[in-house]
Parts: sequence; C-alpha cells; structure tokens
Amino acid sequence: MSEMKKIKNLKEFSTSADRFEGANLLCPGCAHSIIVREVLNATNDDLILAASTGCLEVCTAVYPYTSWDASWIHIGFENGSTAVAGAEAMYKALKTKGRLKQPDRNPKFVAFGGDGASYDIGFQWISGCMERGHNMMYVVLDNEVYANTGGQRSSSTPIGANATTSPAGRVSYGETKNKKDMVAIMAAHNIPYAAQVAPNKWKDMVKKIQHGMEVDGPVFINAVSPCTTEWKFDPKDTMHLTDLATDSLVFPLYEIIDGHELNITYRPKNVIPVEEYLAAQGRFRHLFKDEYKYLIKEWQERVDANWAYLNRREEARV
Amino acid sequence: MAFDKMELRDIEVWDGNFAAAQAMRQCQIDVVSAYPITPSTPIVEGYSKFLADNYIEGEFVMVESEHAAMSGCIGASAAGGRVATATSSQGFALMVETLYQASGMRLPIVLNVVNRALAAPLNVNGDHADMYLGRDSGWIQLDAYSPQEAYDLNFIAFRVAEDHDVRLPCMVHQDGFMTSHTAQGVHTMDDDTAYSFVGDFKPMNDMLDLEHPVTHGVQTEEDWHFEHKARQHNDLMTKVPAKIDEAFAAFEKLTGRKYNQVEKYDMDDADVAVVCMGTSVETAREVALEMRAEGIKAGVVGLRVVRPFPFMEIAAALKDVKAIAALDRSSPNGAAGMLFNEIAGALFNTDSKALLSGYVYGLGGRDLTKKHLHDLYKELQANVDAGKVTTPLQQFIGVRGPKLAFL
Amino acid sequence: MANTGWDEFEIGAMLRTFDGAIEDIPGTLQEDRNYSPNSSFTASVADWRIEKPVFNKDYCIDCQFCWVYCPDISIISRDKKMIGIDMDHCKGCGICVEVCPTNPKSLLMFPEQADEETEIAQWPSKEEKEK
Repeated sequence: MSEMKKIKNLKEFSTSADRFEGANLLCPGCAHSIIVREVLNATNDDLILAASTGCLEVCTAVYPYTSWDASWIHIGFENGSTAVAGAEAMYKALKTKGRLKQPDRNPKFVAFGGDGASYDIGFQWISGCMERGHNMMYVVLDNEVYANTGGQRSSSTPIGANATTSPAGRVSYGETKNKKDMVAIMAAHNIPYAAQVAPNKWKDMVKKIQHGMEVDGPVFINAVSPCTTEWKFDPKDTMHLTDLATDSLVFPLYEIIDGHELNITYRPKNVIPVEEYLAAQGRFRHLFKDEYKYLIKEWQERVDANWAYLNRREEARV
Repeated sequence: MAFDKMELRDIEVWDGNFAAAQAMRQCQIDVVSAYPITPSTPIVEGYSKFLADNYIEGEFVMVESEHAAMSGCIGASAAGGRVATATSSQGFALMVETLYQASGMRLPIVLNVVNRALAAPLNVNGDHADMYLGRDSGWIQLDAYSPQEAYDLNFIAFRVAEDHDVRLPCMVHQDGFMTSHTAQGVHTMDDDTAYSFVGDFKPMNDMLDLEHPVTHGVQTEEDWHFEHKARQHNDLMTKVPAKIDEAFAAFEKLTGRKYNQVEKYDMDDADVAVVCMGTSVETAREVALEMRAEGIKAGVVGLRVVRPFPFMEIAAALKDVKAIAALDRSSPNGAAGMLFNEIAGALFNTDSKALLSGYVYGLGGRDLTKKHLHDLYKELQANVDAGKVTTPLQQFIGVRGPKLAFL
Repeated sequence: MANTGWDEFEIGAMLRTFDGAIEDIPGTLQEDRNYSPNSSFTASVADWRIEKPVFNKDYCIDCQFCWVYCPDISIISRDKKMIGIDMDHCKGCGICVEVCPTNPKSLLMFPEQADEETEIAQWPSKEEKEK
C-alpha cells in the first residue's frame, strides 16, 4: 500500500499538481471547487471518482468538456455512491482474477454529492454502501439547498432559511424543519470513520481525508460549502462565510471513529455569535425583522446545545 | 484457477431460473449486483450458492434496491468487466431510469428479466407488463420461451453485448413462473465450451485503466443530445441485427440449436397465423397442429428478438398470411397492443393484404388455454372467409364478466 | 468539435482527458500533461470576468492562501512560490484578494481592461490600522 503524501504546511501542500481543472461552469467563488481540490490534492494515489447529479456534476462534465483528471462517472441523482461502490467491487474482482491493468496501484474510490442528492434522494443508496462495507469515501458538498436547480429546500436546509420551496413570505419565515444530522446517521452504520469538514480549515480537512483514505471500509465526510448564489453573499466572501460558519460553531468540525468515539477537531479561539453568521447571508435577511428576531435567539440556543452535546460525547468517549 | 468447475450431465432438469443462473456461472461474471424479487429471486439465490460453494470467483454485491442493483452494475461495467443481474416487475420498474442510463452510456450489462405483472393491483405472476415497460430503454432484448432458451440466450446476450462494435446492454426475458419455475430437460454445455462461446471480457473505455482516465455519464444539451441518441438508435438498427445473426449461427455450429430473430412454425403455406411471445408460443404451436388436422392452415410466429424490432423479418414472415392475430400479454391501457401496433407498422406500406386483429390475454398469470387459441384460430379463419376482420380489432381473452372488445 | 455529426465521436458520450497514456498524473505538472481537446483545461472562461486580480510580487510572502482557496486552479504556484495567475481560467471571483494576508495586499481586483503595469506602479501603500 502506498504511503499517504506528507503535507506539513501550506507551502508543501501548494506543490500539489491539481487533478481538477478550471474553465468549468461552477459559479465564481463556488466552495465546491475549493473542497474538491483539497480532497483530491490530499493524496497522490490513483482515484476513481463519481458524482451525483448536481452543481458539481453538471458544471464539470458538459459535453464536450470534462474537468476531471481521473476516471469519473455520473449515472444519476441518487446513485453516485453506488456507482463508485460498483467500481470498487469490479476492482476487487479484477484483483482476485489477476486482470488489473496496473496491478501494483491501489486506487481510492471517492463519490461526491450535494446535500439534495445525499440527504434526500440518494439517502438509501449511501446507507446501503455504508452498510455493505465498501472501501470507499462519500463526500457531501453541503450547501443546504438544491442549488443546481435554483435553490429548493432539502432536508439539510436549516430553520429560517429562505428557499424557493420554503420561501419567506407574509405568513412564513421560510424553512420550518431542522436540519437533518447526516453525520450521526451515517456514523450509526458503525463505519470506521465519519467527519464534518470545512474548506477554510484546509489542514483539518486534509488530515481527515487522508485518514479516511487510509482506513479500510466506508467513510462519510460532510463538507460545508457556502454557496454565493443561494446563500446570497458576494462571491469574494466565500472563505469569510466559511470562517463564520466554523467559528460560530454552526458547523462544528469533528470526527466519529467506528461509529461511537467522537473527537472535536477544531475549537475556535474566539467563538462568534450566530447572529453574525446569519447577518452575512441574504437567505436569512428576513429573520432580522422584529417579528422573527426570536428565531435568531433560538438559533443561538440550538447551536449552543449542539456544541454542548458534542463536548459531552467527546468527554464520555461514546 | 481459484474456483471449481461443475460437471454437468448432458441433459439436466432445470427450471428457467436455475438455467439462467447456471449460464451466468459458466460465463464467469466479474460483478453481480442484485436484489431479490419474485419470481426472479432464485436466479440470484442460485448464483450466491454457487459463490458459497466456490464455483464462482468474482464479487456478488447484494444491494438495497433494484435501482441500486443496476446502479452498481453500471459502475462496475464502466470500471471494466463482465457484469449481470436479474429482476422482475416492480424491481424492473424501479430500475427503469438506470436502464436508460446504462444503454446511453453504452455499457454491456446482461439483465435477466423474469416477466411478471405490474401493480396495481399487486401480482407476482407472469405477464409481459415489465417487458413492455422497458421497450424504449435502448437495450437489446431477447425472449426465451423455455428453460433451454433461458440458458442458451444468456450466452448469446454476453457475446453480442460485449462486442466492441455493439457495446449495448442486453435483456433476456422469460415468463415468470411458467418458464422460471417450470423444470424441463435442458441440454447443457460443459464449462469450458460454454465459456469459450462468450470468451474473455475485452475492456473498452474502462475506468480502471489508470493511465487513460475517462469521464462517463456527461451532460449534453440541445447542441449535442440528439446526435448521441441518434448514434445509439443507429447502432441498434444497423449493427446489432447482424451481430445477433452471427451469434445465432455460431451457436448453432457449437450446439446444433438454431435461433432466429423471428421464429416461424409452419408458416410456409399458412393462411392464418398467431404472433406472440413467451410460453404462449409453444401452446400456439400445439393448437396450430390441431387446426391443421381440422383443415385450417395455421402457423405461429414467435418474436425472439424484441429489440431491435425485426421490422423487415416480421413483414416477410407475415405478408402472405391472410389473417393475423397479434397477442399481447400486457394491458395497453387505452390503445391497441404493442405487438398489434408494431406488426401493423411493419405491414403498412407493403402490398400485403393480411387482415390484422389483436388480443390481450394472460394478465397476472391468467392461463392461455388451448381452447382459447382454438377459438381464436377459428375467428381468424372466419376473417379469411369473409375477406375482412369479423370481430372488433381488440378483444380480451379469458376475463370473467361481459365480453370486452374494442375498436 | 462544434459541428461534428452523430457518427464522429466516441460512443456513450465518453470523454478522454488526455491524449494517449499518462503514467503519473499527480506527479506531472499541468504544463507537462498531454491534455486532449476535451479537457476543460484547454478551454477559457476569461470572458466571464468583469474584474481581474492583479498580482504584485513585491509584497507577496508566498503563504499560498490564494493557491489553496482559489476555486478555479488559477493561482499558479511552483516550488512553493506564487508565480502568477492563469488568466484563461480565472473567473474574477475575488477570493484571492480577500484571503491575501499582506499589507498592502499582494493581489487586488481591477476592472478587466486595466493595464497591469500601470496598476502595479501605483499600488496602494500600507494601510495603517485604526486603533
């Protein structure tokens, strides 16, 4: 088995030769791209990739162009995970039968999907892959909405967000259901590794991706992907939004080992109020009206409670 | 070789499901990604027992739904190896989306479809509703009428589908329960001979060739979609029929069993003919012989290759017949039956004077009896004698209640 | 490729990223790879921009923040040094400017038609932080 690439610091990381190309159709400032680059650059191993229908897939494989420098497959909306699982099964079969073209190389199998594809329509498919123990990684590019089709709500859309199918209006404050905790659900499959990552903490992400690629078995990664188009902020502020997300603890960074050992991997030096996170995005603008301000208070309470819960789990080693 | 060969008798008594499972074993598939559904489940069970007994090397992935089964097959096939699975009815319906994706991506997967009715209401028995649902999916489709044919056609399927000039997935249909669960004597091939007919898998555009990365499953908008779909249709219309005929000829050479795109029984001088698929073909053949004894020149045409539809061959087989009955084992729900329409299309614009009527029968496993066919042939002869169709163009056979006839 | 007919491309709408074999992709720099005309690397999105980043290497400390946070692989870094911007692939999002930590910044956005030499010559000076 090849050794994982050693990345001590950002200068070393910058010597990576990207396997994801520009001149794709993603919006200027899209975080998906930053996440994909960090994931692909975390390893020098060969990669077999898949994506479910969504922004990433639609913007990087429109005939006659492909932005992928590794073998890549898209089948449909539900089944990016199963596509890569099928490829992984073929790899195992060909290895047993001695028919691999490059038998000394160990490709890594990674599927990407948006929150729509992963939390909703493709949920069962991912669950199946995690349960069957394929040696693969699934990375969710979580922008909390069906971005590619104009911003409809998904089960990842948080309370109070203005989405086109849960719009804020004269008698509504937008999404009323709480965001689904996908990391916990996937960890409950007792997979070797599940984690939440963010592209601003590149070192944390790379460490987790490398660990995920080293363990044998299914790995689930949820990556927060602030969306300039649907969260409504200026494209140049993508990294600033990611900082707000991690430092307000709205998106805490942690990992779960073997389904039950939780480690928090990032503790902000200064925890910023959730209100600052919400204020930076157009999709929450209506929450600052007098009649909805209570929701901001509830947001802070929810984030605090979740953080306290994660800390208790970490301490109890469960 | 890390797996064991199986010694087979020259004739084994197998039902259609086990025959298909044996053929799959002999083809040495690399990945089977599957889900159980009545009545195809025994194919998957048989295959997994072979694996447990070391008769198979390769991966068997028991996924969580039929859609996932075909999705896994597509991923495995694109990775680069021999892939197959089996399903029926509701499962087939669930994977319909992926059927179009598999064929559009030109991946050579073999799917055994054990034909069963579609809900609602729910029914586990055999009819052709699922077959008809997939007819536009871009797959090559063969129909087996017996366990022997379920066995033989699997080899044809792998050989044609994987040909680099074809690269299209292939279905092998068989009637649910009537073929799948009915045991008959099956002439077998030994493991080496059987494998030699399909040969080693030759990869093409394989994802696992790490030095030639490929992108599968792109998006094409209004500037490209039509060309790609047209190319697929072109290959089905122009390349596949010849490859199927070649495979049929090679199979006859190897085994003595000859298949044809259109199977004709007693058609040389037939005045009246029944066109159908599945186990009904054999029943019709028996009745046709009895009609001949009664002085009616009866024949039977069985559709062997459902897709690409043998337009010219069907027309050639039927043009001199005086009265034809198209038998559809699926409810057309508001139209004439599929076989009726496709035969009509093939005969239109020819100088055939054949009269054509349609019958819908056997839904949900309802038997098509010899008496039904006897009466049917009598109706065809009455049409011949009158010089026109004397019944409504569409009749339902074997339904309780007032007679159902339309058009 | 724009006007090829139905009979002129690979079946299944399959695309190959490279012309011929490529042994070690992560070990080969982009400029040394044999991209096929189907790789988006060979395409340009320069016409997406209304603003463009201009790089002033006098202030750059080669921290590589711009390299890691550029969504479009348009910050060119070689031997741990920031050497320039890929103007074929840059969409003008402005992230590189926002993450640049130097004072004055080593990257600033200017209108697309601005003259780079002129802008570098009149680069803003160090900003005094308000107490």
